[in-house]
Amino acid sequence: MSESKLSLNQKIEQLDNQVEWFYSDDFKLDEATDKYKQAVTLAKEIEKDLTELKNEIEVLSEDFSK
Amino acid sequence: MMRLGVRMTESFTPTEFIAVVNQTLEYAYSSVVITGEVSSFNVSKGKWVFFDLKDDESSISCFMAVWNLRVPLEDGMKIAVRGTPKLWKQGKCSLTVNAIKPIGEGSLKKAYELLKKKLTAEGLFDAAKKRPMPEDLVKLGVISSTGAAGYGDFIKIINRRWGGMKVQVANTQVQGMDAPDQIIRALKYFNERGDVQVIAILRGGGSADDLSCFNDEALVREIAASRIPVITGIGHDRDESLADLAADVRALTPSNAAEILTKDRAEEKTKLNRAIERTRQVLLQNIESARQENRNKVGSVSRGLLAKYIEPMSRANREKIEKVLTFIRGEYEKVSTETAHKKKLLETLNPEKVLRQGYAILSGKISPGELIKITTLKQDINAEIKEIHERE
Repeated sequence: MSESKLSLNQKIEQLDNQVEWFYSDDFKLDEATDKYKQAVTLAKEIEKDLTELKNEIEVLSEDFSK
Repeated sequence: MMRLGVRMTESFTPTEFIAVVNQTLEYAYSSVVITGEVSSFNVSKGKWVFFDLKDDESSISCFMAVWNLRVPLEDGMKIAVRGTPKLWKQGKCSLTVNAIKPIGEGSLKKAYELLKKKLTAEGLFDAAKKRPMPEDLVKLGVISSTGAAGYGDFIKIINRRWGGMKVQVANTQVQGMDAPDQIIRALKYFNERGDVQVIAILRGGGSADDLSCFNDEALVREIAASRIPVITGIGHDRDESLADLAADVRALTPSNAAEILTKDRAEEKTKLNRAIERTRQVLLQNIESARQENRNKVGSVSRGLLAKYIEPMSRANREKIEKVLTFIRGEYEKVSTETAHKKKLLETLNPEKVLRQGYAILSGKISPGELIKITTLKQDINAEIKEIHERE
């Protein structure tokens, strides 16, 4: 599992923002390679999460019949 | 003393006898279910409900508090009531009712239509009150019977589609007279704690009678009043309960509820790869544009210097100047090579390149029995791992 505390959806949103930068007016070639590497790293982390993350199912012990 | 052939060993006053009968009734029939047809239905002073429950030969008086009446009644409806029999001081026997359920298609439909009309008029089902399901769902409350097939389908599908969620399950009955109160308690439980983002009420298919508990007035009101958004997945697509109408989102089935609440892992992976590939292309285009721009600038400066300053100079000076220009070109080449290197690095990070060479990418847990995805240049293949052997 990844070390990030962000949820899977939050990571995907973060990646969307990183990708958005490449299409924005803030784009700078000097920073682009590093930004791209960051995006690829995050994408790999998300892909790992998508493959490995499981749901935690807890059946409550409360008795709802009373 | 013997009278009429009966051995009179014990004598009661009428009051004592009624008390003994009531004790016996309470012991033998503390909770009895009787099915019959409603007649002489009457609400007294807005507080008490009276009606008779009859069949072809007999009739029994029924009594209940109006707040306990959670299904609309009319004379002629066939119902099942649950209650406690009691012999009153005047010698009349009646049933104190604590739950009612319409029986048979006609009565179920009648009760449904009457309650739907009443609650619609109150605005309980207004579209403006509906809230969307959260985009980032990580904490989910489920109300269902854990032994039911519908619940099993729901869990299987959310596990296949998505991960990282905490799911709390309230195990309740989802049919019968006790189901509405149990589901209400579970709704209150989740709302009081407030640590789930959505509550899903789930039940697989069943008969109209099985699903009738989801037309209980108190339950429908509790769903409409829930602070936490509610999604229902009850029965099949043809079944519509009042609980469905009160919920923020109605899924057609428990499986459909799972699909509404979760994204699909495989689709997200495809989107991910496309986003990265598009970004790479944008970056490459920008790098190429920058290279071209630099080349044009250097060429233009060189030609300008040559014409204006160098050609009119003496041979010795031209040689000195040529050395400087050579140095400048060398520096430019360094920058250019560095840019080309960045471009090459980006090419190596491109998974498409690997796929074009005929290789495939495996994603998933490598373990026997696990499902994995095989991505080739043109196909996504889902496969199951049969065996794993170490390479020699």
